[in-house]
Amino acid sequence: MYIDIARRNLERAKIRSVLAVVGIFIGVMAVGAIGIFGESLKVAVMQNFEDVANEIVVYPNPQQGYSYVEDRDIRTIEKIPGVKSAIALRSDALSLEFKNKKIIATVYAMDEKNLKEMFEADKGSIKLSSGSCVVGKRLADFLSLKIGSKITLEGRELKVAAILKDVGARFDINPNFAVLVSEDDFKKISGSEVSMVIVKAESLEDVPEIKKAIEERINKKEEKLIVVEMKMILQTIENAFGQINLFLMAIAAISLLVAGVSILNIMLMSTIERTKEIGVMRAIGAQRSTILKIFITEAAILGLIGSMIGSALSLVGGILIDYAILQDWSYALQPSTVFYIILGLSVGISTAIFSGLYPAWKASKLEPIEALRYE
Amino acid sequence: MKIIELIDVQKIYKTQYYEVHALRGISFDVEKGDFLIIMGPSGSGKSTLLHLIGCLDKPSAGKVLINGVETSKLSDFELTNLRRDNIGFIFQQYNLVSTLTALENVELPMLFKGTPKNLRQKRAKELLELVGLEKEIDRRPNELSGGQQQRVAIARALANSPSVLLCDEPTGNLDSKTGEQIMKIIRDLNEEKGVTVVLVTHDVNLKKFGDTVIHLRDGKIQEVEHVH
Repeated sequence: MYIDIARRNLERAKIRSVLAVVGIFIGVMAVGAIGIFGESLKVAVMQNFEDVANEIVVYPNPQQGYSYVEDRDIRTIEKIPGVKSAIALRSDALSLEFKNKKIIATVYAMDEKNLKEMFEADKGSIKLSSGSCVVGKRLADFLSLKIGSKITLEGRELKVAAILKDVGARFDINPNFAVLVSEDDFKKISGSEVSMVIVKAESLEDVPEIKKAIEERINKKEEKLIVVEMKMILQTIENAFGQINLFLMAIAAISLLVAGVSILNIMLMSTIERTKEIGVMRAIGAQRSTILKIFITEAAILGLIGSMIGSALSLVGGILIDYAILQDWSYALQPSTVFYIILGLSVGISTAIFSGLYPAWKASKLEPIEALRYE
Repeated sequence: MKIIELIDVQKIYKTQYYEVHALRGISFDVEKGDFLIIMGPSGSGKSTLLHLIGCLDKPSAGKVLINGVETSKLSDFELTNLRRDNIGFIFQQYNLVSTLTALENVELPMLFKGTPKNLRQKRAKELLELVGLEKEIDRRPNELSGGQQQRVAIARALANSPSVLLCDEPTGNLDSKTGEQIMKIIRDLNEEKGVTVVLVTHDVNLKKFGDTVIHLRDGKIQEVEHVH
């Protein structure tokens, strides 16, 4: 019956109650939808890095005077259990000529097998025999390169065998603006030594062990190599996105705060309007706690209705924002979305109840005799 | 058996600038089954007296005992329980809860006591029948006449079978004919059910319903009149 009493009290000021519910559902929707979008954004970005998660990148340590990774160390790394492959990478910035255009391009020396494993061809087929090369998508677009085009690298002519698909941001190598050539060809045009070794682990779980083994076997005497786990970088990025999401949701929560203030306001008004009725109830035997219960129930009903509508709409909102910004609404359909819907729901209900606490307390503190005299 | 006992009761209202002596040493007893009428002009302290008996207020000095319990020694929680279980209030403005039906209004004191729903509804229906409103149980206060509302208020006052019924100008807002009907209901409750009644009024026509009339003036008892 207390719920009934509370519900009817809300019904007697219908418009006011509806407006309070609208306030709550806008707030809940904002928090939920932004939470869903933030998570989608994270997933969308992290997808680009998915295939580098099991990598360890090894660089020479310039602070100890090392400018390249020695062959012997590469062989040591290859022998560590759990290592699937160790891709030694030589790179240099070299002059490139094609049809009167002359630019400086990044050139990587790579093994054909590794190259095929890491990247996909957009056009042509990946082949790094002597005299052929593979170019990145953006470089090809920039120079209008086609399959079979002949470019000149440091005076040496190479035929374009394949153009790679555009790849997202990476931390190891970025082939979009680069030319990839065979080890043999590279040695003829550049004297650069191995500047980076990409170590791929058999599985993600092997990564820490491999890192430890490299440190123990090669860096025992001095810090020859810098060993970086990609997973750690990804973790950092993920954390950063988590923080951005939290910040965005905090901004959205301001609207929920405003809704809370409006509940506080209407319930305070209601307390004043119902002073006499509270007095009557107290006179005929209602305890202070009973009055408190009725008012908090009213706030909870407002919160519950507003939050339920708001969380349902937050899914719609999340889908719309995902579609507008990421051009793919399916990101909104993932397990974490349920979390944000429940989060919105509980934050909305708590805000309403919290806002109702003070008016309820005030109502319960009315002296029955004073309240009865109130006109 | 003394249901109400007042011993040298004083009530002083203090404001920042002055003091009002509403009651200046009032003493009397009310026996079980009595019908006491307190009369006096406005400002004589009769409402203050009723509020003290009704445990809505505490005396500044002196003692108020309900069923032998001194009210000034009780906490707010205990006073509320005392009101709920021992006292039925009937107000001049009926004071029904506007959002609730007649039946639900009568159920309220029982709800506050924790009576189960089926028992609550059964008793509320019986009480509304007693005051002749068996057909109006689902109406809200604004769908009832003044007289009907006051009858609902009487039924509500009786909900927890109180030992005393406190009536504050119960006919003050009613025409004389309806007022007469309400008074008859209250008198019947007193005569047939043995309910103790304390009624405050300034209407001399109501004198005939009481056993004893206390005349109050300037916070003092001026005269005690035994009618029957």
